[in-house]
Amino acid sequence: MEKIILFLTVLCCTLSSCTKEKTDYEAEIDTIVPERIEFKEVTNFKSGNYTIRIEALGGQLYKGYNQIRLKIEAPDQPAPSTVTLLPILTDSQGKISSCPHRYEQLYQAEEGYFEGYVVFTEESRNTSHWDLHIGFTAAEQLHSNSQRIQVRPQDNKNLNMTSFTGNDGEQYFIALIAPQKPKVAENNLTAGIYKYNKPKALSSSSTIDPAQFSYSQVEGYTLQLDPRMPEPSMGNHSSPNNKDLVQGTDKLYHGVVNYTMTGNWTLNFILLNHQGRIVKGTVVPNDFTPGVEGIKSELHIDILF
Amino acid sequence: MNVVFALLLGVCTVNAQDNLAQRDTTKILEEIKVKAKGKKKIKTDMKLAVSVDEFLASSQSISFIKRGAYAWEPLLNNMSSERSSITIDGMHVFGACTDKMDPITSYVETNNLSTVDIKSGQEGNLHGATVAGSIDLQRKSTAFGLDKKVTGSYQTGFEFNNKQHFNLADMSYSGNRFVADGSISFRKAKNYHSGDNKEVKHSQFNKFNSSIGLAYKTGERSALRIDAIYDKAKDVGFPALPMDLWLSRALITSASYKQIFEDNIIQFWDTKVYYNTIEHYMDDTTRPENLVHMDMPGWSTTYGLLSKIALKRGRLTSEVQLNAYDNLSIAEMRMYPQDRSKRTMFAYSWPWITTRFAGLSTSNSLDLSDKSHLTFGGSLGWNYNYSKYVEFNKIFYPDAPQKKNSILPSLHASYHVNVARFDFSVGSGYGHRAPSISESYGYYIYNSFDRYDYIGNPHLKNEISYEINATAGYKSNKMGIQAKVNYFYIQDYIVGRILSMGSPMNYQSVGVKGYTALDHANILNLAISTNYDILPHLHWKGTITYARATDGQRGNLPFIRPLSYQTSLHYMYKRFGIQTSLNGDAVQRDYSPEYGEDKTPAYQIWNASADYVLPIQKVNATLQIGAENILDTYYSTYADWGNIPRMGRNIFTSLKINF
Repeated sequence: MEKIILFLTVLCCTLSSCTKEKTDYEAEIDTIVPERIEFKEVTNFKSGNYTIRIEALGGQLYKGYNQIRLKIEAPDQPAPSTVTLLPILTDSQGKISSCPHRYEQLYQAEEGYFEGYVVFTEESRNTSHWDLHIGFTAAEQLHSNSQRIQVRPQDNKNLNMTSFTGNDGEQYFIALIAPQKPKVAENNLTAGIYKYNKPKALSSSSTIDPAQFSYSQVEGYTLQLDPRMPEPSMGNHSSPNNKDLVQGTDKLYHGVVNYTMTGNWTLNFILLNHQGRIVKGTVVPNDFTPGVEGIKSELHIDILF
Repeated sequence: MNVVFALLLGVCTVNAQDNLAQRDTTKILEEIKVKAKGKKKIKTDMKLAVSVDEFLASSQSISFIKRGAYAWEPLLNNMSSERSSITIDGMHVFGACTDKMDPITSYVETNNLSTVDIKSGQEGNLHGATVAGSIDLQRKSTAFGLDKKVTGSYQTGFEFNNKQHFNLADMSYSGNRFVADGSISFRKAKNYHSGDNKEVKHSQFNKFNSSIGLAYKTGERSALRIDAIYDKAKDVGFPALPMDLWLSRALITSASYKQIFEDNIIQFWDTKVYYNTIEHYMDDTTRPENLVHMDMPGWSTTYGLLSKIALKRGRLTSEVQLNAYDNLSIAEMRMYPQDRSKRTMFAYSWPWITTRFAGLSTSNSLDLSDKSHLTFGGSLGWNYNYSKYVEFNKIFYPDAPQKKNSILPSLHASYHVNVARFDFSVGSGYGHRAPSISESYGYYIYNSFDRYDYIGNPHLKNEISYEINATAGYKSNKMGIQAKVNYFYIQDYIVGRILSMGSPMNYQSVGVKGYTALDHANILNLAISTNYDILPHLHWKGTITYARATDGQRGNLPFIRPLSYQTSLHYMYKRFGIQTSLNGDAVQRDYSPEYGEDKTPAYQIWNASADYVLPIQKVNATLQIGAENILDTYYSTYADWGNIPRMGRNIFTSLKINF
């Protein structure tokens, strides 16, 4: 009897093992969506007695939105104040430009670092490069430094960005900030919307004038959202219960996007100004069109997870 | 054969002859020799060798949704399978396919069943909560110490229409302390042809089933039994669906211990633990016309406990049963982009749903006099659902809870009386059922019937059924007539309704439907059956059924059988038996366009068969030849998914040997 039971137990185990393995859904997203949670040092350099450490998520800078922490340390020296940061891109012709950023860094007293962000609009290439111009005041003395940095291509499509000229002639930038790693779920979508402030007068000085590279966070606009799957076989599939992005107290724009399955999605946008006028974007068709690639808004960002 | 069929009908549904009452006297002591050698009951009037589906179809209260030639979905009292409790020896098994391609009945085979116990409405609450009733597929189990130690049977046959050949064998050994039952079966069929002789593509099937049961007498009045069924279906076509089945496998196991008590209030106590696991893989590689290639695997694993005590005191006999189970159902959906180098698209259609149930039920019979008795019972159950990836459900229902508890009460009572040759019964019932996992947590489950993607609604309330039923019968030596009627008023009846949000995910789909509850639905079922012995060897039988179901606002519910009839003649002469039958449905007057139905025309099918018992000593061998749909009528019924045509003329042959 015992032998029979043993035999049957073994038989059960053999027969009950699955033919196909179940999908590890969360691990599968991990394979194509890198998630960076920890701030690590990107680079450091000396300015007088001070050591300046630049930190970013994962210790790398990427095209798109980067949160930046500056640690300016020196033993037995007065604490630095008025820390400024200006990213400058120099192209192959030597022409310089910048990108959306916070110029004056916020001091986080508890953690002891200065906080800011940069939305890099391009990655570093052989012919063009980025420098971070970091200035600070310590003991009433102004320190100015420039540090060459490497901006890598964005490897997480969920942090993509786009730039465009609005119908009002202004230059705008929209960068996705969260979620880094979306799920098949209701996701809180965060984006930064920035604008280039055209300088009143062109600078003639040969030194870099921050006034020429002024960017600000766009205030009080609405970013209408219509997420869709562009894959032809998905027939312009969309999801319910999405919410347009509106500005929160942190100045960033927050909304809700529902992804009904993993894969390629397009976030179709329409940017409205405070008066509700369209700054950029077109309405996408609502029809279910199997076999036809979905039509995208003229203002959109593609994501993938 | 008529006797057998009548006996089966007797077991079915509301009936004056409650089988509990019969069981108490003689059967209790023999319970350990359960269903002894008995004659093979699994056959129909027309066919000696049938599939489980064909057998169930011979019951008046069961109709089928057919998506092809295999794995028909049984509808009890014209209600879909989530409303009935379908069990194997009281064990809960849950299909692993979101498209209902694998009802539980597809995981057994006729040669490992002894009978099928069908109960209507709340009377079927012994194994768990139900609205429509219960279908319990009862396994064969041989008694200890039979005179004939080794018995067995073998069936083989060929059906010409779909070139189906089958071989079924089973064997039993009955010792004084040890009993063994084993069965094995193979069925293989090619595409069938409809009435206009057109091949119905993707209607092939291929099934292997085997079972084993071992019992050991641990004491004078106690025994331990272990059972296992292994079923494998491969390359099964579903012509009405956009996908076929590549492979499904089920392993259904149990171990039970039974103790009989003598001269006591307690008659016996039977406790069983069980485990079953199912895997189901759909396949669309055989359908090159599909725009999107998809993988849709599903898994379902259940652990359970069942413990039953039978009691008897004076004129009261009772059964008290504890049921508990835990099921995990997982279904995945992966769509492949046209450019295969791109990322595939993935979602769970059942996002890892756990269902737990625990309930106590009782069923009692009280003899009021020699001619009348009362049956009554009730159950109280607790149902729990847990969605591991509840974020899927939150897309449509943002405040969807991850866990859900519900209490499922049920009550029923009926009074039965015999007056001379007449018998009557009236009964009533009340019961709840929890929404099924597809209804609660299903995610973009494509329904090819109405071509909508279905979204489960986690906020659904229990369906509450109020039912009344009655039977009246007359029996004489030469004839019998019986009428049965039942009426269900079902509160919060769950249906799919078009959602104003979301867009289809499956490319064939036209929109998204969400499960929601109608305020109430009404379902009425009526059946009249008669039999008459014209001559001592010539018997006539006739059945007529009618059903009507509305959504409470004069709309019709779908899949309700129109007026249908069956009439048959059976003639026996020495070793020969000849039978012929005519059956059909009237035009489907009360169809439901809202749920994707169209008006199905009337049809009529004529069948005939002849059998001959071979003059061989010691073994009982029967040869049968017959034809279904002799006139090769082209038809499809109200419940044929997507109006796929049924089989045209089918000549069948079979040989059955019992030894």
